[in-house]
Amino acid sequence: MKKLNKIMIAMSAIAMALPAMPLAAQDAASPVVLKGDVMAEKVITAPDGSETREMVPPTTIVPGDRLIFGTDYANSGSDAVSNFVVTNPLPAAVRLAPDADPALHVSVDGGKTWGALSALSITDSDGTTRPAAHADVTHVRWVLASIAPGASGRLTYPAIIR
Amino acid sequence: MTTDTRINFALTTICGAAALSGLLFATSAQAGGVTAGTLIENTAVASYDDGAGPRTINSNTVTVRVDELLDVTLTSLDPGPITARPGDAVLAFELTNQGNGPEAFRLVANPAVAGNDFDVTVRAIAKDSNGNGVYDEGIDQILTAPETTDLLAADAVLTLFVLVTVPEGASDTQTSNVELTAEAVTGSGAPGSVFAGAGVDGGDAIVGTTGALATARGGMVAGMVSVQLIKSVVLRDPFGGTGAVPGTVATFTIEARVTGTGTINDLTVTDAIPEGTTYAPGTLALGGATLTDAADGDAGTGSDAAGIAVNLGNVSAGSTSTVTFDVVID
Repeated sequence: MKKLNKIMIAMSAIAMALPAMPLAAQDAASPVVLKGDVMAEKVITAPDGSETREMVPPTTIVPGDRLIFGTDYANSGSDAVSNFVVTNPLPAAVRLAPDADPALHVSVDGGKTWGALSALSITDSDGTTRPAAHADVTHVRWVLASIAPGASGRLTYPAIIR
Repeated sequence: MTTDTRINFALTTICGAAALSGLLFATSAQAGGVTAGTLIENTAVASYDDGAGPRTINSNTVTVRVDELLDVTLTSLDPGPITARPGDAVLAFELTNQGNGPEAFRLVANPAVAGNDFDVTVRAIAKDSNGNGVYDEGIDQILTAPETTDLLAADAVLTLFVLVTVPEGASDTQTSNVELTAEAVTGSGAPGSVFAGAGVDGGDAIVGTTGALATARGGMVAGMVSVQLIKSVVLRDPFGGTGAVPGTVATFTIEARVTGTGTINDLTVTDAIPEGTTYAPGTLALGGATLTDAADGDAGTGSDAAGIAVNLGNVSAGSTSTVTFDVVID
């Protein structure tokens, strides 16, 4: 119920920002579908000491474990869509993994400003400024100019449980 | 399908839904990490333009529950080996629940550690009920067997006391250790071991890097103090020699050597006057300074009937006191 309210607030915020949005577009089924999933990445150490990474369902996870959040998108419509932006707020209990794509578009201020992590900074409570770290990331997003009809893809980000 | 993590810096509208959800960002950062039972929920939001105008869609929400991590550390709170004398002694330890969920820990104190010069007897394990860091008899709760802590919250720290009795047989500078072990009640083992369904809210419990088992040693060094009395005699006969004849003066010297560690309280040196001799009044001395024979302000008394007595008071280890007195052979 809480989540539903959140979405409704979000929807109304968009409606206010874009008062000219045609209502008809809201009613039609979306040609684009998002499907989220999560897997845990476990390191398996072989008897000879070599390590392999294995994706397993996250049935048993504890702080420090690595999760891969994925979102599959597909355009099932007959027309291309443009300005495709997928935004993913990070759950509070995880931090962005240090080996995330350095070019990944992130926000460290709740989605207000965006950029590559190396371009962002954090102002601490004592007024000093420092470079933003992976643990500061609040959101990640992907921006695609367009998706052709019938095209699909997968977006992922690695996270570590705090 | 292709995996696409490329970034396109085309200018687009910022998604309002994402910005609002971001306000919920708050984390309880703890040593043991996110609390067991926490639900991690992830939802992606997409905005796009399908030619008829901007649209927004949500993905399904995926949810995973954080399982319970079992971790514990234990350290001795004593700055070094404590000085122990025969009788009661207290060793202090600190236990920390390094896991991310509430957990109780079973405690075992082993007094027979390899390398001990002497073994103490463990009387009890107590917890610092009033949290003052010092064992208070009658206030700090004695744990009943099998000694187990209460359910400790993640990151909780508990001070424990191991109450021991030092045996009479120990001699000065001998050492002894007591090993305290704390083990998660849910279980312990190799890191990564899983106790299915044994964690918070029916989740799993997983052994962390500590093995969910911790040991710490509390050390003791026996601080024994002992007194050694060394008595010697020098004879001076009336003819200037050293013969033992009537009239010979025998000067007795009693050296009281206090050795070991600590202080000996109310040390009194007494000696009887030997048969066939008579105490020479006014000859009692301590460290060369004469003491009066009467029971008065000074430390000594001397008489033919009662012998001599010198009260040295509290004497610390490493000091030697010398008492001298003369007798005359009858």
